Amino acid sequence: MADYREAPLATRPKTLDPNEYFNLSPHFRRAEEERAALRANLKRQYQLQLNNPHRKELIEDPALTRWVYARTNPYPHFRPTNKTSLLGLLFGVVPLFVLYFTFKTDRDNREEQIKAGTLERKFKLAY
Amino acid sequence: MAGVVGFQRWVRALTRARVAGMPALLSASRAASGPSKGMLPGPYPNTPEERAAAAKKYNMRVEDYEPHPDNGEGFGDYPKLPDRSQHERDPWYSWDHPDLRRNWGEPMHWNFDMFIRNRVDTSPTVVPWHTACKHLFGFIGFMLFMFYVGEQFPAYQAVGPKQYPYNNLYLERGGDPDKQPEEVKNYEI
Repeated sequence: MADYREAPLATRPKTLDPNEYFNLSPHFRRAEEERAALRANLKRQYQLQLNNPHRKELIEDPALTRWVYARTNPYPHFRPTNKTSLLGLLFGVVPLFVLYFTFKTDRDNREEQIKAGTLERKFKLAY
Repeated sequence: MAGVVGFQRWVRALTRARVAGMPALLSASRAASGPSKGMLPGPYPNTPEERAAAAKKYNMRVEDYEPHPDNGEGFGDYPKLPDRSQHERDPWYSWDHPDLRRNWGEPMHWNFDMFIRNRVDTSPTVVPWHTACKHLFGFIGFMLFMFYVGEQFPAYQAVGPKQYPYNNLYLERGGDPDKQPEEVKNYEI
């Protein structure tokens, strides 16, 4: 497998990563072993719960809980900085005014045209 | 943040001992049914001990753990994982959740729901990205330019006004049948 060339739409799988074979530095190997140990521990916990014949409930995934909690509770960690204030303005305040003025001017022009009788009322299929 | 704490104190002062219903949602005490406070995401870690504790909490190595930069955007201590879609993961490995290509307990990317296999795909493209962009926008730009040129210099078969027989349809156009119409010649010899 030394001459493996990945298919155009795929990234190289971990098992064929050249680092796995040629990077013999103990530092890298120890890092990989630690990661594998963490992964194996998680796998073991999951398999124990999965194959437990007395289990009646769903297996709860703490990583999922943490992810959901992090995504739904950003507010305690929010701080108004230049960037966040600018983004807040751009997405929250500016569209309000821009859209209001755009729609107002457009509708006013339309009303004027209707009153003047210049609006072309074509047959519209959609509405 | 300070406003929320002040509100909580006011609510607690009003409801005193028993917290039930709506005030329970705003009180600072939570039910014991979920994970403990230490297992949930917290604020940005500043000291090395906090970093190590956060790495342990998220089941990552201390060297691998890298929190999002602390710029007040609401990430807290959640780890910054590489922006790789689930498309890129090995399809043949026996994942715990094969459709998500994820193992139980593995730290999830902040935008995990964007990187699932129905959505954004970050796998390498067949041709390099800039080449693909150049080809596509070059083609579209060229076609637009040529259509514009075609609008400016139209080229079609020459046509003239339609010619009708019988003296330009004298009788059909309501001409007097008794009167002799003037001769109309639509040709030249």
